[in-house]
Amino acid sequence: MENIFLLQVKKLTKHFGGLAAVQNVSFEISRGEIVSLIGPNGAGKTTIFNLISGVYAPDSGEILLDNENLVGRRPFEVCQKGIGRTFQIMQPFPHMTVLENVMTSGLFGRVPKVSMRQAKEETMELCQLVGLGDKQKAFSRNLTVADQKRIEIARALAVKPKLLLLDEVMSGLTPTETGEAIKLVRRLRENGTAIFLIEHVMKVVMGISDRVIVLHHGEKIAEGTSTEVANDPKVIQAYLGEHIDESEEASC
Amino acid sequence: MDWASFLQSLANGILIAGLYAAVTLGLTLVLGVMGIVNFAHGELVMLGAYSTFWLFTLLGIDPMLSIPMSGLILFFIGLPIYRFTIRPILKDPPLNQLLLTLGISIFLQNLAMILWKADSRAVITSYSGMSLHLGMVHVGLTRLVTFLIAVTLTIFLVLFLYKARPGRAMRAVSENNTASWLIGINVQKTYLLAFGVASGLAGASGALVSTIMYTFPMVGFKLSLKAFCILILGGLGNIPGALFGSLILGLTESFVGTYAPEGSGWAEGISFMLIMVILIIKPTGLAGTRRE
Amino acid sequence: MIFYPKLVDSYFLHLTVATFLAMIMASSWDILARTGQVSVGQAGLFGIGAYTAALLYQKVHLPPVLGMLAGAILAMIVAIFLGYLTLRLRGIYFAITTIAFAEALSVIWLMTPGVTGGAMGVSTPPLFNGNREHAYYLILIILALVIFVVWLIESSRLNFAFTAIRENEEVANVMGINPTRYKVLAFMISAFFTGFAGGFYSHYNTYIIPYEVFGLGISIACLVMPIFGGLYTIAGPIIGTILIKAIEEYLRVTFSYGHQIAYGLILVVVVLFMPEGLLGLWKRRILPLFGRVRQ
Repeated sequence: MENIFLLQVKKLTKHFGGLAAVQNVSFEISRGEIVSLIGPNGAGKTTIFNLISGVYAPDSGEILLDNENLVGRRPFEVCQKGIGRTFQIMQPFPHMTVLENVMTSGLFGRVPKVSMRQAKEETMELCQLVGLGDKQKAFSRNLTVADQKRIEIARALAVKPKLLLLDEVMSGLTPTETGEAIKLVRRLRENGTAIFLIEHVMKVVMGISDRVIVLHHGEKIAEGTSTEVANDPKVIQAYLGEHIDESEEASC
Repeated sequence: MDWASFLQSLANGILIAGLYAAVTLGLTLVLGVMGIVNFAHGELVMLGAYSTFWLFTLLGIDPMLSIPMSGLILFFIGLPIYRFTIRPILKDPPLNQLLLTLGISIFLQNLAMILWKADSRAVITSYSGMSLHLGMVHVGLTRLVTFLIAVTLTIFLVLFLYKARPGRAMRAVSENNTASWLIGINVQKTYLLAFGVASGLAGASGALVSTIMYTFPMVGFKLSLKAFCILILGGLGNIPGALFGSLILGLTESFVGTYAPEGSGWAEGISFMLIMVILIIKPTGLAGTRRE
Repeated sequence: MIFYPKLVDSYFLHLTVATFLAMIMASSWDILARTGQVSVGQAGLFGIGAYTAALLYQKVHLPPVLGMLAGAILAMIVAIFLGYLTLRLRGIYFAITTIAFAEALSVIWLMTPGVTGGAMGVSTPPLFNGNREHAYYLILIILALVIFVVWLIESSRLNFAFTAIRENEEVANVMGINPTRYKVLAFMISAFFTGFAGGFYSHYNTYIIPYEVFGLGISIACLVMPIFGGLYTIAGPIIGTILIKAIEEYLRVTFSYGHQIAYGLILVVVVLFMPEGLLGLWKRRILPLFGRVRQ
């Protein structure tokens, strides 16, 4: 019996030192959904990503992908189970070309492994898809911020993930670039990938999310459609308590 | 229980710990202030030992008197080393820093071999063989004096770091060098001075080494490893940790030397075994990365 | 290459054999370095290989080539353990651990003379009865094998895995690369050839002592040559070795001790002025000059 939820997170908790970075967080994500994770700085959003992708181990709670337990698995295993992620601080491999960067995920993130030739072909297609078609031979360190984000996304996509974790890919983009990114995300969803985004750019969040989850001080304080969440007094309170104005529209 | 040999081991362990602490002080200072693990530190100690040896052999200067002289000589050797090889790589990845200081280490080891051959030298003074009897324990005079001087060096260093302006500048820089720069501390000069002082400490402890051990080109390498062991035991870049680590190493070596069969041979390997065991269990060392 | 021994005299043949041996060690070190594991303790594996071959010959008269193979395998097994134990160690800590490893072995060897011969060392009769030509061919075959292995690594997906782990292990992990598997694999391959080199050395040299085969000098030699020539390449370790051996031979004739002073100097110069080694220098400074001339 196939589970309707792709990802189930139940009562996830993680402490660092004495501080609870993530406290009792539960939510689900279904196939083909676009869900945004928002919250003031330090709310624990990237920690959630790190917990899901296996970089951290939770103190308690469950993470189920297609009903399979991910807790205790190491990051490469989680990747091979079907989760791809980008990093907030872009970290392409400095001594590899764009093509090589993306090929690396393609070669190792997929189970069963594909041949080098197939990985290369798929990588070239992916680069076209994200808009790096003519820059494949370039070294990542020579590229613009937007292009480096494209590399991150392409790398995450190369593992043919069921669930894509995008960590603040929209920040620092021009309005045109943002528009392209949104189009890309929508196209990915059409292909059946579920997308879980951490975002600060509210316009994007409101525009593309099927659902929004709000985190504050490590706890989930709201969940719902973008409109529901925007009008939720708890959410407004959380954001008014912090200064978020500079993170919206921060792209210019 | 044979108290005499227990107390003797204890005494020996504490005394040698003093020497080890003196050797490690400079390494700790450089690590704490500029975050660099100086693989060549042991060779600076070696040069200090040779300088004392030659001052003694050629000029008849008593090793105890030559401690400040060796310290000064190494201080002035350390300055150009810093300026021309260390300063350029301050911002480099740690691996580059490792290779560079390793290169200096190898260079100095071999330079010593070329200049002075591989023979072991000993500094024998009129009082070298004397020992004091404190209760059941025999304490070699040289060892005792060495220990006391090592303690003195440590106290001087601590006073310097807390009371003297350049010393306080070093502490500030080790905490946060952007903030230090903002309040007007000349970070580069501070680094230079720190390296010089560390080299001077190496030179002084080298003088001490020459009175207790044989002086030969590789003596620095052996001591380096003990110093690394101490750093890993006690926490990187802080003085109390270095003292603590020295004590642990000194005592362990001493007790193994006394009680293990053929212990004196095995005692030499204690530092290596400790390094491996600790790092394997706790990859960042016993106390993690605490900086002074 | 094949007729070389007929063309040169005994001294140069010996020099060539020594150089090939060094190339094997340099390339092996480079294999390990590709995963970001910078070892300053290859002497530990070299010594294990050397003593395995020598002691097996001494105790059971194992033929030299088999002894070398046994040394290689034993070194490889030790590397598997060491590799797993040191997985979480980064950069300097890993380096220090490898130094401690080699030194610890040296002490153990000195303290167990009954088994290992201790400070007195172990002797073996001359390899192939002193026939340097045969020694030459053997070492040439192994060198060719090492180069082949490196070429295989570079043209397979292993290259991606090794490079990714070296450049950013955490990101590589998230992208599906199992760092443990590849780091230990690199260690194993590196150890196998370093151990073989040790075994060869013990028979070729006919006499080994712990101070020498577990000594820092060997560990340093393993790393200076690839760093000088150019890391993470096939040609780098080869070129680096040739040049360094030439310099070393000249110095060895001039000074009886301390000829490794060149190693120290080279390390310093490389880090300060040419971090990509000779190959990097060639690619970045010299090759472009030709381009300009053609224009």
